[in-house]
Amino acid sequence: MDHAFSSANHAVVKHTQLQQKLKTHLAAMGFIAPSAIFLGVFVFYPLVKTVYYSMFLTNALGQPVKFIGLSNYGTLLQDKFFMKSLLTTFIFVFMVTLLTTVSALALAMVTSKHLKGTTLFRTFFASTMGVSVSVASVLWLFIFQPTTGVSDMVLNLLHLPPIHWLTDNTWSLFAVILTVVWMNLGFSFLALTGALENVATPLYEVADIEGVTTWHKFYHITLPQISPTLFFVGTVTMINAFQTFGQVDLLTKGGPNNSTNLIVYQIYKDAFVNLNVGKASTESIVLALLIALVTIAQFKLTEKRVMYQ
Amino acid sequence: MKKKYVMSLIAIVLMISIVLLGMSRLSRPVSANQRTTIVFWHSMGGKPADALKKLVAKYNASQTKYTVVPQYQGAYTESLPKYINVANSSAAPAIVQAQEIATSTMLSTKSTEPVSRLLDSQVINQIEDNIARYYTVDNQLQSLPFNSSTPVLYYNKSLVEKLGLKPLPEDPSYQDILNLAQAITEKTNHQTKGMTIEAYGWLFEELTANQNQLLANHDNGRESGQYATKININTPAARRLMTFMKQAIQDKSFVSYGSGDIAEANQQTAFLAGKLGMFMQSSASTGDLQANAKFKLGVTYVPHADDIARNGLTLGGASLWVNKHQTTATKEGVTDFLKFMSSAQSQAQWQLATGYLAVNKNAKALPQVTSAIAKDSNLGVATKQLETSKKNSVTAGPLVPILPIERTNVETAMQSIVNGADIEKSLQTAEDATNKALASYNSANHMQK
Amino acid sequence: MIITSNEKIWRYVLMIGLSLVLLIPLIVGVWVSLLPNNAILTGHYFTSQFTIDNYIQAITATPILRYLLNSLLVSAIVMVGQVVFSVLAAYAFVFIPFKGKQIIFYAFIGTMMLPFESQLIPNFQTLRWLGILNNYAALAIPFFASAFGTFLLRQTFMQVPLALRESAAIEGVGHFRFLYHAVIPYAKTSLFTLAAYSFLTTWNMYLWPLITSYSDNVRTAQIGLRQLQATEAVNSWGLIMASAILIMVPSLVVLLLSQRAFKSGLLDGAVK
Repeated sequence: MDHAFSSANHAVVKHTQLQQKLKTHLAAMGFIAPSAIFLGVFVFYPLVKTVYYSMFLTNALGQPVKFIGLSNYGTLLQDKFFMKSLLTTFIFVFMVTLLTTVSALALAMVTSKHLKGTTLFRTFFASTMGVSVSVASVLWLFIFQPTTGVSDMVLNLLHLPPIHWLTDNTWSLFAVILTVVWMNLGFSFLALTGALENVATPLYEVADIEGVTTWHKFYHITLPQISPTLFFVGTVTMINAFQTFGQVDLLTKGGPNNSTNLIVYQIYKDAFVNLNVGKASTESIVLALLIALVTIAQFKLTEKRVMYQ
Repeated sequence: MKKKYVMSLIAIVLMISIVLLGMSRLSRPVSANQRTTIVFWHSMGGKPADALKKLVAKYNASQTKYTVVPQYQGAYTESLPKYINVANSSAAPAIVQAQEIATSTMLSTKSTEPVSRLLDSQVINQIEDNIARYYTVDNQLQSLPFNSSTPVLYYNKSLVEKLGLKPLPEDPSYQDILNLAQAITEKTNHQTKGMTIEAYGWLFEELTANQNQLLANHDNGRESGQYATKININTPAARRLMTFMKQAIQDKSFVSYGSGDIAEANQQTAFLAGKLGMFMQSSASTGDLQANAKFKLGVTYVPHADDIARNGLTLGGASLWVNKHQTTATKEGVTDFLKFMSSAQSQAQWQLATGYLAVNKNAKALPQVTSAIAKDSNLGVATKQLETSKKNSVTAGPLVPILPIERTNVETAMQSIVNGADIEKSLQTAEDATNKALASYNSANHMQK
Repeated sequence: MIITSNEKIWRYVLMIGLSLVLLIPLIVGVWVSLLPNNAILTGHYFTSQFTIDNYIQAITATPILRYLLNSLLVSAIVMVGQVVFSVLAAYAFVFIPFKGKQIIFYAFIGTMMLPFESQLIPNFQTLRWLGILNNYAALAIPFFASAFGTFLLRQTFMQVPLALRESAAIEGVGHFRFLYHAVIPYAKTSLFTLAAYSFLTTWNMYLWPLITSYSDNVRTAQIGLRQLQATEAVNSWGLIMASAILIMVPSLVVLLLSQRAFKSGLLDGAVK
């Protein structure tokens, strides 16, 4: 640019620069406004409101009637049912995240070489992503069903006693985990398949020449290369697992004996069945804090192990 | 390549939408010109749902001013909070069916119009007294009793006869049930399990009421000027009931289906498939069972504890509430519709199709009812069970706000007892949790008092 | 790379075996939906008496088509909303310099960690106040802004050289023209991924429609199936299965069409 301007012109330029800056800011605001306004109305405002409700005693109509500070939180921490629900949620989230990630990776590895028909099998493996919550639950409900269910038929063939998947304390949580993992597999599988395809082939070729073992190749080449995706898949699965609701609602309603009563289900029950908005709000805030904590912990712990290109 | 995908995706979505739009047009009832729409939320599934739809259709065809639109909103426990959440908003329905135990909660929404202000006393006087008294608060009939029931015990009579066992008496004791359950289980080599007790708070309440146990203090919360401040769960009556259940488990003649709608569906399926000998459920299931059972159905009163005389049961079922934020035209339509629903003819049709008790006094005398009961005595069991119940504050029924929570806690206790937990401890846990919720409810809702 | 025939064999064995295991629920579902009711009730699943009665009954006797239409419309509305809103926001974050960009961006991303449940009650109240409960609007509007979408697109947009925008600006090309002619064509895969993703997530929504829709005119397929399951459960598994299969078709089609995009599009989200 030509900077040979007279001082008179200089003032004009400065003025236009200011105008330009203003224009840019206006443009940015215009572009961001739709998202910002909607996030404000449907995410930030409700969050503040929920915190507010969590400090009140509320009546059956959901109106706050008495400010009680943090005592909802205190009550909650002494509540055996809630603590059990918390523990159940942790076991559930951990198992779902682990099983989903590991099995999705295994499936992606199995289909990682281009053989005839691989695409078809990939489609099969991915298909559970197209199965929605209610459909998946209904399918598994039928399989788990006690009188004429498929699982009992199979167990019978193997000369094993029938398992009351959804009504037996010992199996119910596992049954819900199975359903959720099955549903989640498709998404994680697709993401990991994509990541495996992007691993640089020369690395493998070098390894082949050096004659290293398959396990060694997997651990030292594949895993570091796909670690960002693995991390992404793990985080997304975990956050989603924390929010599992439909499967519980359709399969067990939180029972038997609260063994599948995840926090989200408890929140729903307190807010929309037991009509205790104050308690439900408190639980929501605790859930939000937990998710934030666990996510941050996961970021910190895995940061060093994840290799970004 | 990518573009092709996008285009085809959009094309497909559009096509399906158009097809569906066209089809749903076709399936929509001919839009009612000039008719006032009356939205009616209900919780009836299965056979009762069909019977309800028939009644509504009959009403809609009988006049040209109103169209009643029945909308299923899930079980009572689900539709009640849904209603409360919209009670004073534009999304509120004109009529909502609410469970008997929701009476106090419905009143606290201050969104309803007592039906005694809408209906003539001539209509109201036709309602059975022992049914109307449940829904009468402050000397006003608050809602129109519609589907009323008591739990009964169902058993597979053909199987019992085939095994050479004695059928149950009309009013069996716990021991009668245990004996029969064990005999069925052993004689069928465990192919058929003798009995189940659904982890269901209503059954718990009824079976303890049958031992003359009050559920809540202050006369079940009905004492004038008072409200319930304590709910009784860990009582001798409840422990007797749980011991009865545990005995059946020890006898290995018990099978558990858990709790909730799914448990109900599963135990019914098992019963119909001949894999379950006995179970207790609302008399309203009689119609469904009668229609689907390929064997002779046995129906008796619910059992009474061994050394305690039968006290009788409180009313179960639901009533129809009117939302007060409605236009005058809608309210007129609601009044007309409720008059139709409570008529002797409608109630007789309803009782015969479902097994619910007719709430209209005059229904009993109608020829279609008398001849049906003469033909099949099963249909009369529930009515007789309620009529022969003692009239006291236990059978008047609890007027307590947080009963849905009480039921959840009781159901949890029942399930943990089935899974081996200690009876007293489980019941006490449920009682503590329930009373904590009650105290918290009372402090939030009775502050002005 | 060489694949030994040994490896080929075990890969095929694994692929076939795992497919069977994974697809069992779907196979069972389709199979049962084609059986007459008494065969299901008595547990006689291996029969040749196939029938499409269950499908006919599902279509004629239940509002399943209406549920499907509702789901399609809501999902399509949210999909369009999310893509448009996310494109705009992501564009600003990448191509327009402004004060406080970092903070606003982190505020956006932070919302991803917030569970929807922590906003449930107030959102319900907001919509009740607006008087739009039991309405398509109630099902769609709260989900227009998507932090995930903004983030995904931002990652992709960042791969467009900033110099391109600078020179375009000097030539007087406005933001919208640049967005339309340069950025969008470049980010097609990501856009498509986001579209399919938001379609599927909305299609899958459960808790929100459960508490905000009350009539069959608005109920989505998820809630409709739950409804059928509750009212018809006793003795009509065939009907339920047929309905489930019908509900599965649209989302499965969307998935199959977008499978390829997902594979590469999701990588953008994973790479920092």
